[in-house]
Amino acid sequence: MTQEISSLMDGELGAQEAGQALQACCASEEHKRTWYLYHVIGDSMRGQGPARLALPGVLDALKAQPTVLAPRRKLLETPFARMSLAAAASVATVGVVGWIGSQGGQVPTPVVAKNGGGLQPVANTVTQPALDVQDYLAAHRQIPPPELYRQVNNRAAARAR
Amino acid sequence: MSFTASAGGHRWLPVLAFGVACSAHAAPDDAASLLARAIQAARQASYEGTYAHSNGDRTSAVRITHVNVGNEERERIEPLDGPPLEIVRRNDEMFCYFPDSKTVRLDRRVTAHFFPALLSASSPEAVSASYDLKLGKTESALGFDCRWIRLQPRDGLRYAQAMCSEVHSGLVVRAKTFNAQNQVIEQYTFTDLKIGPQVAHGDVKSLFESRIKRWVTDAQPREEAKSVDTGWMVNDPPAGFRKVTELRRSLPGRAAPVSQLVYSDGVVSVSVFVEPNTAPPRTAEASSEDGTTTFFVRPMGDTLVSVLGEVPLATAQQVGRSVAHRP
Repeated sequence: MTQEISSLMDGELGAQEAGQALQACCASEEHKRTWYLYHVIGDSMRGQGPARLALPGVLDALKAQPTVLAPRRKLLETPFARMSLAAAASVATVGVVGWIGSQGGQVPTPVVAKNGGGLQPVANTVTQPALDVQDYLAAHRQIPPPELYRQVNNRAAARAR
Repeated sequence: MSFTASAGGHRWLPVLAFGVACSAHAAPDDAASLLARAIQAARQASYEGTYAHSNGDRTSAVRITHVNVGNEERERIEPLDGPPLEIVRRNDEMFCYFPDSKTVRLDRRVTAHFFPALLSASSPEAVSASYDLKLGKTESALGFDCRWIRLQPRDGLRYAQAMCSEVHSGLVVRAKTFNAQNQVIEQYTFTDLKIGPQVAHGDVKSLFESRIKRWVTDAQPREEAKSVDTGWMVNDPPAGFRKVTELRRSLPGRAAPVSQLVYSDGVVSVSVFVEPNTAPPRTAEASSEDGTTTFFVRPMGDTLVSVLGEVPLATAQQVGRSVAHRP
């Protein structure tokens, strides 16, 4: 039945099959729970997971039965999952990642920084002030951070009051 | 594929005069002429599209519209990630709109070069002094065919570049930067693109301007963009790098404007910032690298020198370590 629920969510069922799946789904608490669980997983993948789970015991079921996530691997291959993943990134970004990924004949460049998280001091600067590159980068590129003006105008507004 | 100074420039002068009319010509088959055409197309052609840019750990998408009216470049640029921001450019005049803070910032272009107009050089001669120009393969992108031009540095002081020039218009539709290990460290690619008369001239106007009734105008950056004598110099700039300008810029949190000297080899630029080494003073050199962006700081007693540019660390160090008072 989990297969049918998954297919139903993916819109892969015909009208008749969908009707049967919906009937079967609604007739069983277990299937309802599966339906709910799949949507929670989908929403979480989109970063819209619920603050808490509405059905008690679902989290316990997830913890207690790792196999309950077995359909997820299938889920990731479905249009439903692909749509979820696509929603997490702009179409343009997916486009370039795809293009970056398709670059043959070169050592692939990780999209993540070689430093792991932005500009990090290379030299040992334990006793030194942290390297703050942002102001210089903004001046060099001539693109100031929008936050700069928000702060300035907030100060001006505060003074006016 | 070496380039001799007399070859490309004169041949393309007529094309220069006709502007986008060059799109009717067949693509030249030598790298220098193709590069000259790409430089011209970025300035003369009408184009509109979205490009993706990855550099180090950052990937972003940018919307760009560019037209040329009566030999005046007009351009609208909108980064699609982060808070709303729009840059409208007329030749070197830049209007930067921040709708959230209702502020429009006026500036004059010094170092800002947006894809596909990445090069500050106006001719391949300036580029070929520091780079060997080579033709690469032709590939298909977004329904266009483009031919790769490789800029291979003649020394280890700069990164190799490659640009894919659309065969009809010459416009660069993809670009990459490689490190010394030939790994791609930065790349641009259009994800959608229109070239030519189908681009409406009205599309280069600000979209944000009419949404806000009263904009606060910050004209200070434009004033600061004027060249001044900072009293500082770079004694030993890397081969091929020439000083573009020197000025004083206000940076956040500083009591006084910071001196900025800009050097360029026609392809990339390096900014040198000189300011007081305030408390807590920095006592040791430090550096960081992310994608093509290299940052190097060097304390000189009560003065702090910071170098930032799209160059290898050794180049930034050479610049930073030769900063001195002008005699």
